[in-house]
Amino acid sequence: MLMPPFELHHPKSVAEACELAGSLLEQGQAFDWVAGGTDVLPNYKWRINPKPHVISLAGIPDAFTLSANEIGCMVTLDTLSSSEIVHSLLREAASKVASSLIRKSATVGGNLCLDTRCFWYNQSEDWRRSIDWCHKADCGTGADCRVIPNQNTLCVATYQGDLAPNFMVLNASVLIVGPNGERTIELPSFYQLDGMKKNILEEGEFLLKVILPEDASQREGCYQKLRVRESWDFPEAGIAASWIPGQSETLQIASTALESIPKEHSEQIRQHLESNDGSIDIKSMSISIQKSVKPVNNTALPPRYRRSMVNTLTKRALKGIMKEN
Amino acid sequence: MGSYHQQPGSNKGGQRRDGKRVAGKQAFPPPGSGGSEPEMRPRDLDFIPETVGGREPKPAGDHIHDRDRTGTAVGKPMALVDSNAKVTGQAWYGDDVRLKGEAIGKILRSPHHYARIKSIDTSRVEALPGVLAVATGEDAPNRFGVLPVTKDEHAMAVEKVRHVGDLVACVAAVDEATAIQALSLFDIEWELLEPVFDPKKGLEDHDEPIHWRGKYHLARTNVQKRVFQEFGDRSLVKTPHASSHGSWTMAGVHHGFTEPHAVVAHWDPNGRLQLYTPQQVPHYTHRALSTVLDVPMHQINVVRTFVGGGFGGKSDPFPHEMCAAILARKAGRPIRITFDREEVYWINRGRHPSHIDVKMTADEEGRISGFDIDALIDGGGFASFGHVTSYYNGVLATAPYELGSFHYTGARVWTNKPASGAMRGHGAVNTRCAVEVGLDEMAEQMAVDPIDLRLANLLPPHSRTISGFRITSNGMREALTRVREGSDWDNKFRQLPLGKGIGIGCGFFISGSGLPIHWDPKNFPHATVHIQVDMDGGVTVHTGAADIGQGSTTAVAQVVAEVLALPVEMIHVRSHESDTSPVDLGSYSSRVTFMNANAAIRAAIGIRDQLLKAAWEMLGYHPNVLVLNDRRIYYKHDPAIGVSYLQALHKAQEDTGALIARGAYRSPPMGGVHKGAAAGLAPAYSFSAYVAEVDVDVETGKVSCTNVWAAHDCGKALNPLAVRGQIIGSCHMGLGQVLSEKMVYGRTGHLQNANLLEYKIPSVHEMPHVEPIIVESSDPEGPFGAKEAGEGPLLPILPAVVNAVYDATGVRMRDLPLTPDVVYKGIQKHLKKTGVDDPLDLTPPTLTHGPLQKGLVERAKEHEVRDRLRQRSEDTSAYVNGVLFGFDPNIPLSEQVEGWREADEPLPEQLAELGFAGRAWLKKEQRHMEDDA
Repeated sequence: MLMPPFELHHPKSVAEACELAGSLLEQGQAFDWVAGGTDVLPNYKWRINPKPHVISLAGIPDAFTLSANEIGCMVTLDTLSSSEIVHSLLREAASKVASSLIRKSATVGGNLCLDTRCFWYNQSEDWRRSIDWCHKADCGTGADCRVIPNQNTLCVATYQGDLAPNFMVLNASVLIVGPNGERTIELPSFYQLDGMKKNILEEGEFLLKVILPEDASQREGCYQKLRVRESWDFPEAGIAASWIPGQSETLQIASTALESIPKEHSEQIRQHLESNDGSIDIKSMSISIQKSVKPVNNTALPPRYRRSMVNTLTKRALKGIMKEN
Repeated sequence: MGSYHQQPGSNKGGQRRDGKRVAGKQAFPPPGSGGSEPEMRPRDLDFIPETVGGREPKPAGDHIHDRDRTGTAVGKPMALVDSNAKVTGQAWYGDDVRLKGEAIGKILRSPHHYARIKSIDTSRVEALPGVLAVATGEDAPNRFGVLPVTKDEHAMAVEKVRHVGDLVACVAAVDEATAIQALSLFDIEWELLEPVFDPKKGLEDHDEPIHWRGKYHLARTNVQKRVFQEFGDRSLVKTPHASSHGSWTMAGVHHGFTEPHAVVAHWDPNGRLQLYTPQQVPHYTHRALSTVLDVPMHQINVVRTFVGGGFGGKSDPFPHEMCAAILARKAGRPIRITFDREEVYWINRGRHPSHIDVKMTADEEGRISGFDIDALIDGGGFASFGHVTSYYNGVLATAPYELGSFHYTGARVWTNKPASGAMRGHGAVNTRCAVEVGLDEMAEQMAVDPIDLRLANLLPPHSRTISGFRITSNGMREALTRVREGSDWDNKFRQLPLGKGIGIGCGFFISGSGLPIHWDPKNFPHATVHIQVDMDGGVTVHTGAADIGQGSTTAVAQVVAEVLALPVEMIHVRSHESDTSPVDLGSYSSRVTFMNANAAIRAAIGIRDQLLKAAWEMLGYHPNVLVLNDRRIYYKHDPAIGVSYLQALHKAQEDTGALIARGAYRSPPMGGVHKGAAAGLAPAYSFSAYVAEVDVDVETGKVSCTNVWAAHDCGKALNPLAVRGQIIGSCHMGLGQVLSEKMVYGRTGHLQNANLLEYKIPSVHEMPHVEPIIVESSDPEGPFGAKEAGEGPLLPILPAVVNAVYDATGVRMRDLPLTPDVVYKGIQKHLKKTGVDDPLDLTPPTLTHGPLQKGLVERAKEHEVRDRLRQRSEDTSAYVNGVLFGFDPNIPLSEQVEGWREADEPLPEQLAELGFAGRAWLKKEQRHMEDDA
């Protein structure tokens, strides 16, 4: 497969990157950010929204920050999975992403900003032409969504990143920078429907680092990932849970690979604790999480099955953090 | 410890210590074969059969090639001779060929499932700077296809496209970017036609059948081939003691080879076509190129590059090979076409998606009274090997068990999908899985151990199947016995906790198709090998056999080395070019080791006889009392009386120069005379038995295979390391089909997962521990007793896993692959049926032996004795399928049993009872419809 041509830029600082982005925007030139490239470059080869300019974050020292409470966007998943200073839940989640080879290049930033996926979309140009395109990559045709036919207003491509739910249950925020300055956002608010918009990043902005609160280290966490193979595969469903042991009010659950954005489930937890006098009943908690998600048919396994598995995965994640068998 | 020197004089040369030349001596040493090992190694008696004085055990009896053994190479584990080239990156695969001035070819593919091409305007393509040539279907109107009876392909679409991805046109340009750009400039007017995706719909009449076969077309259906085969006494199935009926849906799977297709075509200065392609069957490509290009075969040289995996997927002549040749001719420059992975899936030729219905019955003595198989197979857009597949789905189930009756209906239909074709275990895999699972189910009904049920129903060595196949060597019983012992079966089966299971499956496969695909010219050999030995002593072997990674080149080198008692390093196999290689029919149907190595042995014997004759002249001892051992020929009672290999060689070369010999192989006449009798006929058959252990997560439905004991009867392991590799590789490939791999066609008929991320080949994490067990039944016609080991070992893993999943859960699954959602659904259904709420409360099945068990064990013991005597040819009496049911093998069964049938067409009264595929027999061929009119 031939990579479409693009100009690669190598800014050496955050300021330079923002200036470059601002300048390209002024010129009306489209661009993508690239960190490890394991998501955006394969998509380019498939001619999925290639841009004439690509800005690499690999030359920005701040993007490589790694401490218990700050993780830069350029930190690779391999580094994360073997780091002794980060939360064990992040190590576990990172080690379950893709394959060891991909983890050597893939980054935290790339995983959090992963493009949403759909088997009507992640295909070659010839293939997409044969279905007369789709809403997410309509090539100017105004094509309908192929998952939910007869509409072209909503994209339901699935977010299949592994890290996001794990960062969510550790109450992480993200630092976003761009030509207009920086802002810090709680991770759940970072994501925004639909499958095309994906997150709140404005043109020219990029995610510089993830920030974890001081008390994150007190949390016990567990991540359950459903996939066909133990290597390579994106999650077909993923549930992360954490709590400060013994404190049910600190329980956090988040899911991934079930909808167009990862989801934290504080509302379901709140309702559950209210109706259970503040205690956690694993069975009913798991069912309520299952009921709160609505996967669609655009990944390898059927949506009905994936939804059923949310129950099992939640149950196992909760048992994991509560140290039950 | 000293020994006899190989080359007298060798490095002493013709120089004195003072550097001056010795009178009468050459200034340089004569060519030597000693090298760094100037002394003869002792005879390796461990690898010389006990039947000819060595220590190698021969429990299956002596073999005609025993006297050709020298203890040099056969039976010794060794790295493949081309492995250095591969691990150092020096092997040249299709896309590694770089010719001066080459340009890039790209193929325009159909965006439609089924459409008529009303017009193609190429003017904008031709106007693009950098475009060198453009071609469409009009440039190559001649049809081709791998089978002469079903030529339904063109280089590019003529009139119609038949699936998304079908070839429409092609373009050559100075670089890939220009070629890709050019593809967007074709202006095509289409007329969309109504596509067919469901093979069941393919049985119905259609306004516009995908292909039209004229007077042989079946009504207006899309049936490409229908088969009916019935043998035996059907009355036996009417009152069964036990029965099983399973309806299976098996997804299509792809070979998943590493190397995508790639081809380079070049018309040389003399106007001859040089075509470089990673082909399993270069000879068929050679023929097809000649047909399509209207060029005589002698003006085409097909160069087989290294093949980065084939598994059947590179055995058709391919349209892109024709396209490259056409573009190269037009452009006047070499053209290279390399596929993307998606194009690999679009050309496909993988295993057919299938609906298979198997009914089987057993009588009160635990004998298998009937197999009733109906196989509807989805052929996709072209015939490919489908004519053969249609037969194999049935007839390859007629062994290893003795059957009371056999009934098979099969149909292959064209659909608007990428064409299915031949894949490792061609045609036998899906039915074998269904049959072996059915046996398990019947064993459960009869309360007997499924291994004992099998052991009590095996055909013996040197027997005939119900369909007329000639079984020679047969290691099935040993394979079953050894996996039973190895896996500790008797302490595990039906005794493991919920979620853990163990299962058995067997396999039976051809070792070389007895009938060649091309039988012209008449009586042409299936394999031919030429050997040339010049004065340097190196042995050059010319063969057309295509090494596709299975080690066929190594096998040839080994058998030649064995006969000539030379180190394998002295054997140089040249097999890449049709200009220099004698014709070989290709690497398919597991024929290469059996046929090509047999031809190589014959050629090597031709060389050996010339050497022995020369040694006789030099030593005065008759060849009968001469021994060949490690580059030396000597009197068998006194090794001091001998000559080196080179001395004998140079003597033999006096006045003639290089020694030349050739050997050929053609399978003997075999089989019945009914229509389709040749399908599945082989000079030998392999047998295999696997036990698999699985873990099933009953809450998620995820199945992990943890351990496999894999016994395969390959006759004689010429290279045990390669056989072990084939067994483990087969396990991997079969596990993919049974657990995770499928070509997914969505609701719009599009192939949804034409890439290696979503087409889920098992990773190293999914591989179980595999314990390969080699069974050596010493086939009387195989080279040194060898049979195939490349395809048969795939068969048993599927049923072994499916049966193990049942053992773990108590749920029978019949939709392959057993992806977690399929297993979960099956478990949920079972929970509802049994009224259990939580899958963790399921009860796995148990076994308390019933009254039949004892009888089966006793019968199996008797048969074990019978089989040993027959294997060793101590009992040479006739044995045909039916003896177990009390018939006399010396009298035609039709004369002993009223109602014994051997039929290739249904009786009118059977038409109403036929299964899905069988309904193809309700339709008439056009020629008969015309008669009616």
